[in-house]
Amino acid sequence: MDYARFVRLRSPIWDQFESRLSAAQKEPRRLGHADLESVALAYRQILHDHALAASRFPGTGAARRLGALALRGTHWLHWDRGDRVPGLRQFFAETFPRTFRAHLAPLAVAVSLFMTAFAFGACLAVVQPGIGLAILGPHAIEGLRQGHLWTESLVSTVPPVVSSSGIATNNMSVALAGWAGGAVLGLGSLYVILLNGFLLGAVLATTVHYGLLGAMLEFVSAHGPLEITLILVSAAGGLSLGQALVAAEDLPRRLVLRRASRGALVLLVGCLPWFVVLGIVEAVVSPAPTVPPPLKAALGLGLEACFLVLAWNPLLPAER
Amino acid sequence: MERDTAGRPSEATVLGLDNVPLELPIAGPGSRSLAAFLDYLVVGIGVFAWGALCLAVSTLGKQTGWWMLALFLVGFFFIEYGYFAAVEIAREGQTFGKWAIGLRVVTREAARPGPAAFLIRNAIRSVDLLVGVPLMALDPLSRRLGDRLAGTLVVYEHAAAREMVLRRTPSGWSAQEAALLEAFLWRAPEMEPWRAERLARQLIECIRHDDPALAAEMDPSLGPVDALGGLAKSA
Repeated sequence: MDYARFVRLRSPIWDQFESRLSAAQKEPRRLGHADLESVALAYRQILHDHALAASRFPGTGAARRLGALALRGTHWLHWDRGDRVPGLRQFFAETFPRTFRAHLAPLAVAVSLFMTAFAFGACLAVVQPGIGLAILGPHAIEGLRQGHLWTESLVSTVPPVVSSSGIATNNMSVALAGWAGGAVLGLGSLYVILLNGFLLGAVLATTVHYGLLGAMLEFVSAHGPLEITLILVSAAGGLSLGQALVAAEDLPRRLVLRRASRGALVLLVGCLPWFVVLGIVEAVVSPAPTVPPPLKAALGLGLEACFLVLAWNPLLPAER
Repeated sequence: MERDTAGRPSEATVLGLDNVPLELPIAGPGSRSLAAFLDYLVVGIGVFAWGALCLAVSTLGKQTGWWMLALFLVGFFFIEYGYFAAVEIAREGQTFGKWAIGLRVVTREAARPGPAAFLIRNAIRSVDLLVGVPLMALDPLSRRLGDRLAGTLVVYEHAAAREMVLRRTPSGWSAQEAALLEAFLWRAPEMEPWRAERLARQLIECIRHDDPALAAEMDPSLGPVDALGGLAKSA
């Protein structure tokens, strides 16, 4: 068959497929079963014509047109169902707890590294008080000398509603950075874990130096435990990404990366809503002098327990 | 099908239904960077518009002002982090920048990615702002880090109907000769008229030599370029 004859015989099918595909793309809900079958049949014919044109008439307009039509058809008719989004209830009752359980090893690594950095920061700030000045700045240190924590300004300069939104978005940015940093061979996640551990240790040791540890613990007790947990869980997702990039086990790297990234995404999405709650607690409850310290501590422990129970979901049977 | 030096299909080839090979028109770092630039312009305009709206509402009162500041911070965060993923999910792999350049995100198998893939490739965006372009330049499939993790590619989305396809060719012409004539007709509108006409006359001479019957059917009242264009229309 010569080229022109091929075009004359087959182009009505191509035109029909293109118009049907365009109509289906515009209004997929109006597509009936018979319409879908006819599109699928025409798609198969397009693929075969494309194979013929690519081998017999390479470089021609028909070959290019069929290539483009075949790609459009493939894109519209094939959908990666592995990425189906579960409903909210299924996500928090099943998907997130299963993923959390599967990530206990990187979470343990993240906690160990955090504790190590915390101890290092605390020791360094004890033997070298200048560290506190470098981290907190001269204004905050002057406040500590006078017996005031810098956190008091959280409610004295702007209303809690502004602090809440600022804190929540900042914490989410840190969690996202810890998660995304895992894509750089895990180095970004390591950085976020170690930096947060070091800063917390150094700041607590600095408040010890000025006799304000009690006030500092009172401030962090309501939001601190869960905040650190969420950052560590997000960073654990980042570490699993890094692990998949560095050591892909026996499977093809593409599959390992896919599995690791989906798991890490579930961890991140499961953590993000909690940052909104934490933003409100940190801006409204933590700096409030009217809320008694035991109540703040109870709230902090309660939030932590709530998250861990929801993340673990004891009602969910273990995977065999 | 494009093949490497060893004769194997190139990395940009995927196997469709019935093992028919499909060559993916991979978008390079240049067009992708341009699309990203346009998208960041959209993000900038979105943030500016959101800020202006919050500012306008905040003039109603001091208490309203603080609330609007809080809303601005939250909105800024969601526009900055959410624009790319939300628009790609809603428009099946096309942000406004990609739409303007004619690009689309597909899976490694040329299928439609799921929402998780869009979320992953865009959650990594902050890292890709630093390392994305060199990674795309080094990768034969022009994948940035987010694409590797999500299992996605960015391809050109050609408008199939715009291709010039001849319906009649002189007898005995090979596919290469037909492709040459199609390429001329496709490019003729962009050429200087005198150059296009000169080339068209040369091509008509070739047709007259190879298939006098077909040459005789061409409308002599038309210019040489339009007469050749009739071959793409005639049945």
